[in-house]
Parts: sequence; C-alpha cells; structure tokens
Amino acid sequence: MDTVWQNLPVILTGLGLTIEYSIVAIVLMVVIGLIAALMRLSKVAPLRWIATAYVEIFRSTPLLVQLFFIVLGLPAILPVNEWFGQLTYPILAAAFTLSLNEGAYVTEIIRAGILGVDRGQTEAAESIGMTGIQTMRYIVLPQAFKRMIPPLVNQAAQTIKDTSLLAPVGVAELVYQGEIVISATFASFTIWGFVAILYFIIIFSVSKCASYLERRLQVDKR
Amino acid sequence: MISVRNLHKSFGPHEILKGISNHVDEKEVVVVIGPSGSGKSTFLRCLNGLETVTSGEIEIAGMNLTSPRTNIHQLRQHVGMVFQQLKLFKHLTILENITIGPRKVKKVAPAEANEVARELLAKVGLVGKETSYPDQLSGGQQQRVAIARALAMRPNVMLFDEPTSALDPEMVGEVLQVMKNLAIEGMTMMVVTHEMGFAREVGHRVIFMDDGFIVEEGDPKAIFANPQMDRTKSFLAKIL
Repeated sequence: MDTVWQNLPVILTGLGLTIEYSIVAIVLMVVIGLIAALMRLSKVAPLRWIATAYVEIFRSTPLLVQLFFIVLGLPAILPVNEWFGQLTYPILAAAFTLSLNEGAYVTEIIRAGILGVDRGQTEAAESIGMTGIQTMRYIVLPQAFKRMIPPLVNQAAQTIKDTSLLAPVGVAELVYQGEIVISATFASFTIWGFVAILYFIIIFSVSKCASYLERRLQVDKR
Repeated sequence: MISVRNLHKSFGPHEILKGISNHVDEKEVVVVIGPSGSGKSTFLRCLNGLETVTSGEIEIAGMNLTSPRTNIHQLRQHVGMVFQQLKLFKHLTILENITIGPRKVKKVAPAEANEVARELLAKVGLVGKETSYPDQLSGGQQQRVAIARALAMRPNVMLFDEPTSALDPEMVGEVLQVMKNLAIEGMTMMVVTHEMGFAREVGHRVIFMDDGFIVEEGDPKAIFANPQMDRTKSFLAKIL
C-alpha cells in the first residue's frame, strides 16, 4: 500500500487525463454520431455513402491501429505538426481519433433509435405541417433519445476503457502513468490492481448516475 | 374547396387510383365508402401530400398541391387530417399534443396556444385531461384529441381516414358525435368510413369507390335506398 501512497500524485495526474479525454470523447462521439446517423438516414445518396463508409472503416479496424496511423503515421507524410504545433497535434489527434472511433458505434445506436420510432409519429407530425427538421427535432428525436440511453451509457463506459489505448501513442493517462510507476518500483501487482480499481470506480459511478437519470425520465416523460 | 382532376396513383406496377376527378364545395361533408383496397384511403392521403401523386391535378384550400412550387408544409397547415391508427405524440401530454403544431409550426405564443387548446379540449369533451399522456386515454378519447390537434392549426378542410375503424364499438359514438358537431359548424370535411349511419345522417354526398375508380356518387339517402350500379348494390347489400 505504501507504494500506492508514495506514487499517488503521479497516478492521479494520469487519472485526471483519463477523465479529461473521456469527457471530450463522450461529448464528441455523440455529436459525431448524431450527424452521421442523420446522414445515413438522409434522402441525399452521397451523404449516405460518406456516413456508411465512415462507420464501416472505423468499426472494421482496431482502435489501436487507427491511433498509430493518425497520431504517429500522418506526421510522416503531412506537415501536421507545423499546422497544429509539435505538442498540440498528438493531443488533438488522439482525442479526435478516439471520438471518431466511438462515434461510429454511436451512429448505429442513434440510427437504430430513430428507426425504432413508429412511422405513424412522423406522418402525424407531417400532417400538421411540420418540416422534416421540425419532425426530427420535436417528435422523433425526443422519443428516440429515451430508448437510446442504455446503449449510449454502455458506449460511454466502453469509451472510458478505450482511453487506455492512448498510452501507446504517448498520452500520459492512467495506464501510462501506471507503467512509469511500475518501471521505478517493480510493484506491478499493486499498481495494476489500483489502476483497475480506479477505472472501476469511475465507470461504476457513471452507470449508476445514468440508471438514476433513466428512472427519472421514465417517471416524468413517456 | 377541393378540386381533383384525373388523379392517378401507382405503387410500383400497381395502379391504385385510375383517374379520379371530383369537386368538394366549401362546408360540404363528403363521405367516401367502398371495399378495402378500393383506393379510398390512398385518395384521401393524396389530398394532403402524404402520398405523391403519379399524375393529375389537385387543388385544395386555395393551393395547387401538384405544382412543384407549392410549399407542401404550408399547405398541410390548412388541411387537417385524422388517421385510422392512434397517432398522438406519445412523449407529449394531451395539451402539448395540441399546442405543438401552433407553437412550433405557426410560431404562436405559448399562452395563446394553450388557450386555444383548452377551448378545443372543451369542444371534444376532454376538459381535465390536459396533463395526461396519450397511453392513459382510451382509444376514443385519443381520437378526439387527434381531432383537436388537427383543429388547432385552424384548417380549412378536415380529412378523416377511417377514424373509428381501430376503436372498440362502444367508443365509436363519441368520436362520430364530435365529427357531427364539426359538420354542423360548417367545416368542409372528407370522411372515409364504414359507418353508414354517419354517412346517411351527416354526409351531404356519398362517393362509392371500387378498384381505383369512383363508381357512383350522390345524395346519401338516394344512394343507400336506390343504388344505380351493380357494384354499389352488391357492396351495400353486404354492409347494410
């Protein structure tokens, strides 16, 4: 236990980054997922193609490879470091790649949620003169959102865990900091155990909050 | 109020409407009857653009529906519709169901929209249900709310697509009563229904459709008592 206390500051900086990357990725994945889902359901064929290609590419390759490719590979052929700054590019690229990857799954969650809303609801909305956008915003999405909460919470938990894959591309998050502590102390059992407990606490509290929220929504709104 | 010229509608290779022409006057109540698959629901759905017509012309509430320059969303504000299936917005209260159209589509102030909604609820006999949700109401009550929701847009014409067909028998009367009151107030109405009592009592004119055509039309009492066409005769013999 002493090893943990002595190295707590190092581990906690890692935890801080894990939480920051998680929040950014969760917000972005929902925004990206919503846009891509609406594109996949669009009447405009090219929009559908682009969104489908995006989803398939990101779902069919490993996140770790995507991170290596975009964070470490792209600078080899494009002057991205000059555009964004040597230090900023890896941070932005890592966050963005993670968000894009999770967004691909969120796209499918949101698309399924929208398709799950009874077609009659859309027809009724159109019959009182609502445009497609108004129908989506006031009628379909509010109903779809409710049924999307459980799978979205699942995806958020997955995203928090996936931030651990940022360690190999140099983001000093929880796993990365854990490795640093272990290389100095050789206490791998204790430190990995402690790291696992920290992940558990974050993810468990997120899903508890979510199920509370879900129950509240069930009571207030149908 | 409604003018239809040579309307054709096909779904793929199947021609559902094979050339419909008709004219409905202001304040007229027209009842459309016919066997299932005769195209009567499709006909009605064409009248507010829920189905795109294959060919022909429709003028309704002073607008040319079939012109590509017509804003279909604007047109639908003037053409109310009540469906067979219960289609209230499930996530909204009864009051919100009625006000969402005026508020979001016509940008009416919430206070004013609420006031109109309460008047309409009184009209359809559902005062006190403002904060209920659709699934807390019976089918008949839901259809009356659906009528109020359509009326809240202040339409010039109301279309009813078998509004009582999905209801338990004991709830049919309350919905028909609301529709009857509406007819008495002078609303222009087109009603697809199997309720022959309603057709006879409230309808100014009956249209009998079969196989994508208007087979026969005229005064309800005359048609029911003395149909001219064989197909009308055999249909009425089965249903009356």
